[in-house]
Amino acid sequence: MVDPSINKHGNRLDRLQLVVLTGLMFLGAAFVFSATMVNPLEATKAWYGQTWFHQVIWYALGFGAGAVICLVDYHVLARWSVVVYWAMIFCLVLVLIPHIGSMRFGARRWIDLGFFQFQPSEFAKLAFILALANFLSRPPEELRIPLNFWKGIGLMMLPFALILKEPDLGSALVLVPTGLMMMFVAGTPKRYLMKLVGAGSLVAALFVADILFAPPSLQISMQPYQRDRLLVYFGRDYTDFAPPNATPAELQRIHQQQLDDEYNVRQALISVGSGGLAGKGWRHGTQNALGYLPRAVAHNDFIFSVIAEEEGFVGSVIVLALYAVILFSGLRIAGQARDRLGKLVVVGIVTLIFSHVFINIGMNIRIMPVTGVPLPLLSYGGSSVLCSLIALGLMQNVYIHRKGY
Amino acid sequence: MLIFDELKKNDPQLRFVAVALAIGFCILLAGLWWVQIVSAREYRNHLETQSYRTVRIPAIRGKILDREGRVLADNRPRYNLNLYLGDLRKEFNASVNQSLARAHGAQRQEIAAQEKKLGRALTKNERKQFALSTEELTQLRTGARFRVADSIVSQIGGQLQQPLSLNATRFARDYDTRLALPLTILPDLDQTFVARYEENSFADSGTDLEIQSVRNYPLGTTASHLLGYVQRDESSVEGEDAYFSYRLPDYRGVVGIEGGYDSYLRGRAGAEAVLVNNLGYRQTENFWNQPEAGHNVVLTIDLDIQRAAEASLEQHRGPDARAAIVVMDVHSGDVLAMVSSPTINPNYYTGGLSPDENQKISAALADPKLRPQINRATQENYAPGSIFKPIVGLAALEAGLNPDALVDNPGYIYVGRRHIGDLAPPGQYNLRRAIIESCNTYFITIGLRAGIENVVRMAEKFHFGERTDLPTRQETKGVFPTLKQVKSSDWHDGDSANICIGQGEMAVTPLQMAVAYSAIANGGTVLWPRLVEKIESQDPTSGETPTIFPTGLVRDHLGVSAHNLKILHDTMLAETVEGTGKPAQVPGLQICGKTGTAEVMNEHNVKIDRTTWFASFAPYENPKYAVVVMVESGTFGGPTCAPIAHDIYEEILKKENTSASKVLAAAN
Repeated sequence: MVDPSINKHGNRLDRLQLVVLTGLMFLGAAFVFSATMVNPLEATKAWYGQTWFHQVIWYALGFGAGAVICLVDYHVLARWSVVVYWAMIFCLVLVLIPHIGSMRFGARRWIDLGFFQFQPSEFAKLAFILALANFLSRPPEELRIPLNFWKGIGLMMLPFALILKEPDLGSALVLVPTGLMMMFVAGTPKRYLMKLVGAGSLVAALFVADILFAPPSLQISMQPYQRDRLLVYFGRDYTDFAPPNATPAELQRIHQQQLDDEYNVRQALISVGSGGLAGKGWRHGTQNALGYLPRAVAHNDFIFSVIAEEEGFVGSVIVLALYAVILFSGLRIAGQARDRLGKLVVVGIVTLIFSHVFINIGMNIRIMPVTGVPLPLLSYGGSSVLCSLIALGLMQNVYIHRKGY
Repeated sequence: MLIFDELKKNDPQLRFVAVALAIGFCILLAGLWWVQIVSAREYRNHLETQSYRTVRIPAIRGKILDREGRVLADNRPRYNLNLYLGDLRKEFNASVNQSLARAHGAQRQEIAAQEKKLGRALTKNERKQFALSTEELTQLRTGARFRVADSIVSQIGGQLQQPLSLNATRFARDYDTRLALPLTILPDLDQTFVARYEENSFADSGTDLEIQSVRNYPLGTTASHLLGYVQRDESSVEGEDAYFSYRLPDYRGVVGIEGGYDSYLRGRAGAEAVLVNNLGYRQTENFWNQPEAGHNVVLTIDLDIQRAAEASLEQHRGPDARAAIVVMDVHSGDVLAMVSSPTINPNYYTGGLSPDENQKISAALADPKLRPQINRATQENYAPGSIFKPIVGLAALEAGLNPDALVDNPGYIYVGRRHIGDLAPPGQYNLRRAIIESCNTYFITIGLRAGIENVVRMAEKFHFGERTDLPTRQETKGVFPTLKQVKSSDWHDGDSANICIGQGEMAVTPLQMAVAYSAIANGGTVLWPRLVEKIESQDPTSGETPTIFPTGLVRDHLGVSAHNLKILHDTMLAETVEGTGKPAQVPGLQICGKTGTAEVMNEHNVKIDRTTWFASFAPYENPKYAVVVMVESGTFGGPTCAPIAHDIYEEILKKENTSASKVLAAAN
């Protein structure tokens, strides 16, 4: 069974993916520009100091890093993956230590390197994929051994727990479908996975039920903002959770708190919805310009609502289509991979990127809770852009060293 | 498609991944379709309500003009000194940050002091009690913003040489509720302050002058009752957007022409949409509807005659006289002057007067006797007294009275057992002498002889006891018995006798008497009085055809013989030549008139006051004008009212002569 495209393309890169990738980066730069230039402070900076230009620099750096990755056979990379994995775990522990990890928006996620706010969780996702792929690439028979199954789970739970501690629920959660999907593709017996998913769902359901319906005294302790986000997502009234002896002033304050928390979600929805079919045109969105969509998040976590407001349903579909091309062509690469290791790496990357896209866009249209997950390649942010491009480089790497070559 | 090739391949795991991805994309697509296509309108409405504030912009109110186009009511510019809070955002932020920093500094010091005292570091919970509460923070911010605004205001006050200060509560309220609108710090600047403001440069201070249009009555009290007044009212009228976030000051006419023609005068308010940002500061504005200016109302009033009547009344009776004057064109029914006294300067209601004047008016408004708010020409019932006698005489003549037949007056008359006195000296009276000397006995005798039904029928043709349908919302219909009433068993000859001398069960308004005397003068046509000549566009170049109200609108015909009217005219002319109406005489003008002095009774039938009248028309040969003067608490109609009528006729004559000479000059 020989794919005709192999002969056609020879040793070269997957061009379609590259073209689409370039398109996404172009969109990203354009809308980071649109989202940030409405801020008069931003507009008065020199062009090389402006956010969109920083984003372009990150694209260039990320593209370079991706190209470098392509030069080394992924088998070599996989051999080093264990080292990288534990290095990243070390970073994740480091970031939790006060004075090393820097605090922003109530979360300790960054290590300040002066020129760059290094976010270990982004890189940990990649290290995790490589390490898990390396671990799962052993013969399928060995995967039937329960101990190996639990080892795989352990590889996933270690960064999961550390990232959750930061706290960064979104980044932690994307590890779960990625890991499970890789284990499934590797050939881990279905009954193990089914049991795990069943048990996980049960725990998650109990957890959500506890947050939503249990009296305050019985609730699992959680970061207040995370609890609030869940409450917002499930449309619960905060005042139901007020202490029984709350004064009217306190109830009023709690209600105000609810309005504030719902604010971002509501404004994102208004942005997306008011875009309509064709949108208002590039740089003509009002939600962002007037500051209803908070300026702090408009160009990163909520970049999609800026695109959707300015380019409408048409723009949203184009963005979805671009991601679809990248992901499905990624699956094609997985199908052509030389060995199970390559296939698993690509499946991991595809699932990771898709999880980001689904959670981020889903949060903009209120089908997912607000969790602060960036939209790969479009959201502003050095770590996210670098990781996305390195991941895509890995995918190309697998393509270059595909079977029959 | 190339990218779906994997699905065809025999790799169930990858196919599962592809299907999962496809389902995920479909969910997102469906969600986006729902939000952006199906619910787009809903979200756009959300967007509009949160980011637009609509402001009602009143239209420029129409003017009120006299028949020659002279201004009775217009609008004057009012300069308000405004503070634009949006321009002060930077200063506000700086001040707030400074205050916060100071508060935090103080907080740290307190904590340090406490730690020193205890000799250990405070725990997290102990630190908490030093933290600022939400209310304190709010207060801190409000205070910081207020200090910025207040310092600017007092600085400007210094340069204007007028101490200015800002009310903290009002500032906080306006900041919270109407941030998109400017805050007025000094309303209604006079010219000196406007000049001082313009001289000093306040370019960056966040202040500016705003021009508002305010209703203005340049002639003050002139024709004030007729004009009526306006009140602040920003509510939407029919056919206008009903929902506005803010409304700029507007006025609504309450009574008088301002009230009756309010819908024409006020025009159509426009709407402005102000785009605001998430903090409520104004970004841009654009008009949704331009306001449409109101229409001018041109009155039938002749300003010269109106002012002459007012001046004469004030000269003879003083400003507190309770009196009314109506001057009417007997052929067209045009009201040429309508005076009611005492007056209120209508600028009082729009805040255009000094505090002293305001106080005086408030005192007058509270006075139960002066009652300056009512229009005495149309809004109050008065007994006509003797000025009703010509109408009784006309009814008797029509019923066959011989005007030369004599009636003996012993100085009183008994009707039934009732004694009615007569001020006319005892003697023999015909119609002419009875009019001249206003003989009660004569008119009671001829009236009863002709029958009260005939008098009532005649009064019905004059439409006493009915409204004249003025548009001013200040009209009473008067009182007059109906035929049915006078035929009932409750009606006695004594009641009939009272009617014959204009007393008892009847009451009129000065305007009704002017209409009646016009009918006597013009040969028997009862007209609808006309106050408004036309309604026209404020812009003479608009090409809009003005609405012209028909002149000489006939209400009824008396159906009396010309001969009888001639007899009546002759006797009334004699009244001003040799009777009590003498003081009305004007050289070169023959005036037919009748004086009257009616008694005002209280509920116990005790005389408490008198109403004096002079009702007339002129010239005798070819009547053109009817003049009715009524003064409450006068002495007698002759000495009290006739001199005022004299002044009015003099003005009319002067006007006729000048216009005649103008016509002559034009002809030459």
